[in-house]
Amino acid sequence: MKTICDGRSGDTRLMQGNEAFARGALEAGLSVVAGYPGTPSSEIVENLAKASTVRDIYVEWSVNEKVAMEVAAAASFAGLRSAAVMKQVGVNVASDFMLHLAESGTRGGMILISCEDPGALSSGNEGESRPFAKLFELPLLEPCDMQEAKDMTKWAFELSEEIRNLVMIRSVTRLSHASGNVTLGSLPEIEPEARYKHWGTPIDPEEGPITTFPVHYKHAQMQQKLKQAVTRFEESPFNTYEGPENPEVIIVTSSACTLYSREAIRLLGVADRVGLLKLGTTWPLPPRLMETHLAKADVIFTVEEVLPFLEDSVKILAAEISDRIGVKKFHGRSDGTLPTINELNPDLVAEGLAKILGMTYQAVDPTYTALADEATATDAPERDLAFCAGCPHRASFWSIHNALEMDGRQGFVCGDIGCYTLAFLPTGFSTLKTGHAMGSGTGIASGFGKLDRFGMDQPVLSVCGDSTFFHAVMPALVNAIHNRADMTLVVLDNSGTAMTGFQPHPGRPSDAAGNEVPALDIAKIVRAMGAHVEESDPFDVDATRHKVLELLQKGGVNVLILKQSCALCPEKKGKKLFQVDLDASVCFGENCGCNKLCTRVFKCPGLQWDPEAKAARIDEVICSGCGVCASICPSGAITKKEVA
Amino acid sequence: MRIYGSKELVSDVAQRDLCIGCGMCVNICPYFKTYKGRSAMLFPCTLEQGRCNAHCPKTEVDLDALSRFFWNEPYDGSPLGRFKRIMAARTGEKVSGSFQGGGTVSALVAYALKRNMIEGAVLTGAEGIEPMARLVTDAEQVATCAGSKFIAAPTLTALNQAVREGARRLAVVGTPCQMTAVAQMRMNPLDREDFADPVALTIGLFCNWAVDHRQLVAYLAERMDASTITGMDIPPPPAEVLVVKTTQGEEHFPLKDIRKLIPHTCFICPDMTAEWSDVSVGMYEGRPGWNTLLVRTPAGAELVDKAMTDGWLVTEAFPEANQKALSDAALAKKERSFRNAERHGYLNQDDEDSRPALRVPPEVLNQILDVPSR
Repeated sequence: MKTICDGRSGDTRLMQGNEAFARGALEAGLSVVAGYPGTPSSEIVENLAKASTVRDIYVEWSVNEKVAMEVAAAASFAGLRSAAVMKQVGVNVASDFMLHLAESGTRGGMILISCEDPGALSSGNEGESRPFAKLFELPLLEPCDMQEAKDMTKWAFELSEEIRNLVMIRSVTRLSHASGNVTLGSLPEIEPEARYKHWGTPIDPEEGPITTFPVHYKHAQMQQKLKQAVTRFEESPFNTYEGPENPEVIIVTSSACTLYSREAIRLLGVADRVGLLKLGTTWPLPPRLMETHLAKADVIFTVEEVLPFLEDSVKILAAEISDRIGVKKFHGRSDGTLPTINELNPDLVAEGLAKILGMTYQAVDPTYTALADEATATDAPERDLAFCAGCPHRASFWSIHNALEMDGRQGFVCGDIGCYTLAFLPTGFSTLKTGHAMGSGTGIASGFGKLDRFGMDQPVLSVCGDSTFFHAVMPALVNAIHNRADMTLVVLDNSGTAMTGFQPHPGRPSDAAGNEVPALDIAKIVRAMGAHVEESDPFDVDATRHKVLELLQKGGVNVLILKQSCALCPEKKGKKLFQVDLDASVCFGENCGCNKLCTRVFKCPGLQWDPEAKAARIDEVICSGCGVCASICPSGAITKKEVA
Repeated sequence: MRIYGSKELVSDVAQRDLCIGCGMCVNICPYFKTYKGRSAMLFPCTLEQGRCNAHCPKTEVDLDALSRFFWNEPYDGSPLGRFKRIMAARTGEKVSGSFQGGGTVSALVAYALKRNMIEGAVLTGAEGIEPMARLVTDAEQVATCAGSKFIAAPTLTALNQAVREGARRLAVVGTPCQMTAVAQMRMNPLDREDFADPVALTIGLFCNWAVDHRQLVAYLAERMDASTITGMDIPPPPAEVLVVKTTQGEEHFPLKDIRKLIPHTCFICPDMTAEWSDVSVGMYEGRPGWNTLLVRTPAGAELVDKAMTDGWLVTEAFPEANQKALSDAALAKKERSFRNAERHGYLNQDDEDSRPALRVPPEVLNQILDVPSR
């Protein structure tokens, strides 16, 4: 098996950003990594899991991000180098522990890699973790390319060990998921020995118990550590300046925005007028380095994603040293030079920079835009965001939606995070009516389920995936049961963390490295909690709808487990349960009695409307053979035959 | 008669709370389902015209058009509708089993099945108190559906289901609203060959009102252990009670409470005796063990005559005074319902935006509403 351990020192390899992070951790002598899957972070742990087949490291997909950070912290406490890996929303989950960890300090080098999603390409929000660095008084690093991703990761371990505290590394989608050349370093031969030394006094950083107490002492120490980090930042090779000695404008930037800024300068041809201060260490800012560069120009343009985090820090620092660097004019996200939301790109940065320089810049010729729009409207097939062909979620929401309509009391479903979040769209029959964080659907349903005394008579459901169930739903369910809420949780169990690529979770029989582990049974757990439990195959839409209807009539907390593997899971992919056929001569088509139910409403991508035949047809290439369309077809035109 | 689609069905019936849950819109297509007495649209259908709307007994029922279709005569508003004969009836000695009232309906259905006059009969059975649509093809099973249900029932779901599965020559037994729906279905309003009349016989049941299933369940659940219920009856006046039979015995509830559970759609229904059917059957007030039987059509007459000849049905003359009382009651229902429908704006509107539930020839309407209230 090819792994990121391949390659010798000095070799140059094309690596994905996340592979570079993983390689950097190995070059630093990492022993333990723990994370929870989430786009765009998942490949770091996955690559380290593969590496664990050839290198003695412990790799864990933890139940959630807080536990992942706790698991990684334990390794650090035992003197090993460790990393916690997650996406930006995961840092929110981990943040409670993280604040305490920042105050207690660490022993072996420990880093957090947070891979973030400006533009919310795969997220329910555009949140970011950088403010946590300030909030928790921790040093923050932001690499700008794949080489830095590797090198800064390695350096972060050294820094962490030096200051004896957690070091945060922040990546973004365009770094984590892009690829670039990386010159490798060597993988150290290490023989780590884990031992937790707890026999000293609480203020003994080497051999004392690791706690946040005494709080004031530890807090002061924590601030001292941060100052120590700043000293290192002043000299860091990851902070660089390129451009003229006396530019009109200085761009202050970090991360992937460095590349956008460099390109914007080139696009506008203003390399002689604009300087680029690229920062790898973005919190706290090194004041002497900043003073040197800020003094060069009167106009400061901060380019970053998404919140004006760096911009605010620069402004505060500039105010503090204004007697020495003079009064500056600031541009960035705050004043609207750049949009206040979403990802950036070279064009947006060029437009912003052109505005500042009094130039005009048009990224795309309007004639071209008009032609492209026209072509899109006429030539591209109309496609909504949709569940895959054969996705069990489509069948599940079909049944849930229909049961709620038949029940007729304006019941609704509280959503959650997973592929099934799409069910707020027509592909899930617009069934989800709330959508927030992991596990929140059930917490919210627990709350709705107590509002009967105020006249609320709508039935309340929540949905969650199997991985989400373990991640954050269990406490919410405990809450609902204990507080006698009336609600039904539907567990959409598709046998893996499907959305992020089938990472295992506590309900699965193998771990991150493929070892056999005990699989926890969701039905047994919820039954033991005291919920009424039913199970159904979501592909049996009639039985499932019947079960949902029954549960809607029942008070208390009910759990319905709909178990059917994801159509894309490795065990199922390419295999059909049924051979599905459609007899166009029987199809009711647009007539009263059907009106294109399968292609207009059910809308599995495997079904297509043939306008000439005025009948539906099955796209053999796309159809995954779930057979659900045969159950919903009113004419009997669609038939299914079990594949032997 | 203007015909619309599912969108208007929802706005004109469901949203006006006029749905009686007869089941006529269910099982024609995948979009409508019934559950615990309520019909629901699962997804909007975009067709501008559909059978769901055309057959519904609460969307523009054009009484004159129905009358011209069935009797080739204009609608005249006569209290009991058009009929050939009225008589007292009960089961003949050939029929075994015990029935509520005179058993006339069961006898006629069983006879029609036995003589192969029909392929099957759409009836209303029950589970506990929940009325259930049933397709019966064996004369021996008819008795399992005997007895009044008093609850609005989705009977016609079984008709649509049977038709979809290819059955024809069906009998339907139902309340006036259900008979109106079936009558409209028989007219084939979308005028398509494949939607041609699948019904061979209709037996209408007298009805003043029915109780809303969900409201009754809620009412009873607050007052007793609903899981023990086995059946229900409303004994003839002057009892004024609803008798609920349970595994433990009987419980009685005052009818004045139960009447509050009548859906208001019953109060715009002008039909007491199920005028759009081949025969209509009701209680014979004051004569337990007998029914009132109205024979309306040649098909109805043929069935009744044969059943009498073969000893399945016994009839007697129906006294003049009883006919007068029945007619008065039926006229009172017409008058009350037309007034109600008019007051709510459900009668005879002509503009596109406000569609009526009922269309009545103005001269008939005036004649009925001129009758001094009693």
